[in-house]
Amino acid sequence: MKLNDYTQNVGMRMIVIQVVAFVLLTLLGVRLYYLQIVHGDYWSGRAENQRVRLIPIPAPRGAILDRNGKILVDSRPTYNVVLSNEPLKTIDVSERVPEYARGLNLEPDFVTERLNLIKKQNEFEAMVLKESATMQDIAWVESHGLEFPELRIELQPQRFYPHGTMLAHVLGYVGEISPKQLEQDEYKSRGLRPGDIIGKGGLEQSYDQFLRGRPGYRKVLVDSRGRVQSEIEVVQPQAGQDLLSTIDLDLQTTAEQQLAASVTKRGVLIAMDPNNGEILALASAPSFDPNVFTQGSKTPEGRRQIAAYWQDKDRPLYNRAIQGKYPPGSTWKIPESMGALQQGAITVQNSNMTCGGGITIGNKFTRCMGSHGSPPLSYAITHSCDGYYYRLALKMKIEGLIQMIETFDFDKRSGIDIPNEKVSETPKSWKPLVEKREGRWSDIRTVYASIGQDTVVVTPISLLRAVASIGMHGKMYVPHLMKEFKPIGAMGEEGSSDYFAARPGFGFDRPEPKLIPMTDEQYDVVVKGMWGVVQGGGTGAGIRIPGFDIAGKTGTAQNSSLGSNGAKDHAWFVSFAPAFKPEIAVIGLIENVGFGGTHAAPAVKGVYETFIATRHGGVPPADASVEPRLVAKR
Amino acid sequence: MVAIIEKRDLRDFDWLTTLLAIAIAAFGVWQIHNALPNESYWSKQIVGIGIALFAFFVIVFSDYRRIIDLAPFFYGFGLLLLALVLTPLGVEVNGQQAWVKLPVIGQFQPSEFAKIPTVLMLARYFGQKKGGALTIRETLVGVAILAGPVGLIMLEPDAGQAITYFPLLAAVLFLSGIKVRYVIGGLVLAAIMIPTAYYVGVQTGVIKRYQQERINAILDPESVDPRGYGYHTVQSVITVGKGGIAGIQGDSQTSQSVLKFLPEPQTDFIFAVTAENTGFVGCISLLLAYALLLSRMIAGAREANERPAMLVIMSIATALAFQIFMNMGMALGVLPVIGVPLPLMSAGLSALLTTFCAIGFVISIRMRRFVN
Repeated sequence: MKLNDYTQNVGMRMIVIQVVAFVLLTLLGVRLYYLQIVHGDYWSGRAENQRVRLIPIPAPRGAILDRNGKILVDSRPTYNVVLSNEPLKTIDVSERVPEYARGLNLEPDFVTERLNLIKKQNEFEAMVLKESATMQDIAWVESHGLEFPELRIELQPQRFYPHGTMLAHVLGYVGEISPKQLEQDEYKSRGLRPGDIIGKGGLEQSYDQFLRGRPGYRKVLVDSRGRVQSEIEVVQPQAGQDLLSTIDLDLQTTAEQQLAASVTKRGVLIAMDPNNGEILALASAPSFDPNVFTQGSKTPEGRRQIAAYWQDKDRPLYNRAIQGKYPPGSTWKIPESMGALQQGAITVQNSNMTCGGGITIGNKFTRCMGSHGSPPLSYAITHSCDGYYYRLALKMKIEGLIQMIETFDFDKRSGIDIPNEKVSETPKSWKPLVEKREGRWSDIRTVYASIGQDTVVVTPISLLRAVASIGMHGKMYVPHLMKEFKPIGAMGEEGSSDYFAARPGFGFDRPEPKLIPMTDEQYDVVVKGMWGVVQGGGTGAGIRIPGFDIAGKTGTAQNSSLGSNGAKDHAWFVSFAPAFKPEIAVIGLIENVGFGGTHAAPAVKGVYETFIATRHGGVPPADASVEPRLVAKR
Repeated sequence: MVAIIEKRDLRDFDWLTTLLAIAIAAFGVWQIHNALPNESYWSKQIVGIGIALFAFFVIVFSDYRRIIDLAPFFYGFGLLLLALVLTPLGVEVNGQQAWVKLPVIGQFQPSEFAKIPTVLMLARYFGQKKGGALTIRETLVGVAILAGPVGLIMLEPDAGQAITYFPLLAAVLFLSGIKVRYVIGGLVLAAIMIPTAYYVGVQTGVIKRYQQERINAILDPESVDPRGYGYHTVQSVITVGKGGIAGIQGDSQTSQSVLKFLPEPQTDFIFAVTAENTGFVGCISLLLAYALLLSRMIAGAREANERPAMLVIMSIATALAFQIFMNMGMALGVLPVIGVPLPLMSAGLSALLTTFCAIGFVISIRMRRFVN
């Protein structure tokens, strides 16, 4: 050292600088050891995770066909505008809102909602911003690729309902799984994720897991902006299975037309094959267009239409056939009659009861619509004698009525294979409540219950099922809309990770009927009464079709108890035909129009006419007609 | 100015230090290529090394004493260039007006070049000091010399560059007999004042949110939003850690920089690229190379026969050590993200030229140690 200056101690100070520098470099070395040697695998995994992405390839959903193979629902290709997560990570997304809204004709609120969703759920690569993109949308996205690298166009099959409002309640619709559903075990266990399309309502919901295909994916390498650099692996999707339904499109069309032509345009028509429970037609009016839900939920107009459906006081979203509960009125007398015979309140040989033009309970007189003397059962059915049933029910007692309710399953769901079916309300369900509130079950309630009023409100499907079972000598089938699922082949190579096993075809899982014990004589007396309603000058005589005998029962149900003061009665007609060898059972209900024979029966007749025309070439089946000697006499 | 090259000069030429610097720069070219193989940064860097070596040899064969004598002139010129940045000739990049674009010469960063005149000016002033402890007056003059360039750089504003100037003065003051108790007192004061100032800065809003986030990313990297301002730090740490023991060895298709996860891979984060491609082995080798380079420089300072020469070398060595630590510390996620290039490695002509010029002075001084 040439600069000897001990007061400054320069040499020592230079050593200090050198030591400090080396210590700092050593610290860097220690940190390197920690990051690269100790935790190297962890960071490699992090790097791997952020550059490899799985892009799902949606699987086409199975089609839904009518029993003759006509298309009811299918999927057609549409283009979606898809938003990638990665490029959005480092930017303020609120700046994008007005741009997207203008460029893609979307509502700013909706865009904000979507952007927030994708920001929050950062494990997801992409999310649909707009479905069914138009050519203009596609052009806009393509021309703004540099500005908005997060947007891309993807091909996706879109559910399409070619018949619009027809069958809407049966088919349901599809939509993106809701955040609430994602929480539920039912959906979680099926491995569903946000953005997945699931069936909502109707067959789409009931058979979602079979209609749904198994999505494939593309494993790709992406850069930090989420742009695909290269493809590592592709797994092709497996399409969903096609569903052959029990619906007969011709009968369905007629049913819908009949309801549309009715006075109030509100009601239900169901046609069922009583031999197996297959539903041939199921119409509930007013209806809705499922396409609005599948395509419209992303557009302002669509959202307005959906809101209008929800707010409509006529409740078009509500499936009246399985969710509506109506007093059955006189149609109730059919299962009641059979119950009385089974329990021995009356016998086939001695079924006469007094009409008396009505009955007095306490100081209240409840009248019959006519004065029928003391008629036998068949006559009472044919002419819908209320007085007969007042006394019959009092003889059966409320316990007898409840036993009948249990026999015909009015205390449970019919088991139809579409969701949200309601259970009818009957004296069985009301009795404990009434006794708690009023201290006892009074006779007047039994009298009202005998003609399907007051404590009796039933779903049309449960009533049809019960009445049809009588036409079948007691075989009560589970009504259903699923006839058959078509099989689908395997995808990929067996044993590999992208192998999807073949899915076999199958039919309805509950084909066995409940057997209700009834003798041939009991069957005869009830069905003869029903035969007379149409064929023997009864309350439904107006719809007689020569050569095609219909067994039916009209009903005219007062609904003042529902609080709709001044509203007209509900018109019912429940039937099966040919009367003694039924091939089809039909129930009709028109809300608030008046007499059942005048309003509901003609609508049902329309369905029968189409049935004859399409199934029997316009000629009624042979042996369907029986001798007029059957007409019941007093 | 260029002296006649004598035989004796060549004999005393420090080949080891020169070759070490060139080797590190060449290693840097390889890493720049690894960072962005499809871009031309690496080939530009080779041209840059050629230009820098030319300047290096001009300085090596000039008499450093005459250059130190002319220090005030160079210092003034440096300030002029820094002022030029703030005129319309300045070019704004990422919100910082740190560049000047001149016809023919092209675009360059005066805040890099101005380090050399600042070092020379400090060495000239403190080199005249004869002995005894540092006075307050001398300290203030030192601060004033530094305040010129640092003040102009803060106007750009470029806090990262400004910070790299402080070691220049710190080394000079330390070696000019500042009392040890002041040094210790200053360190203690800093230990108290820095957190306090940060707290006050956050409360008053002087420290902006992004700056705060960058600090938080160091203190607690897992809780910070990896997509926000912590992104650089998190991605850099991922890149370094991914390298493992021996690096990814050429699989550039999936590298962090090619897929653009690592920002600024050819400049500020070149060390992360090195770590990804060459792993722990490569990084430790690089650290040893830097350590050897610094040792050689400090050895040169010991052998210097006059005070200004010693101060020039030590000031440069300290500044280099500081920059290496700041840059690598940032890449390793232990220091906040500030734009300090890695000496000799980061792409960029201005920094490369400045570093080679600085090393040129060191060699020049060492070569002339037996003169007089």
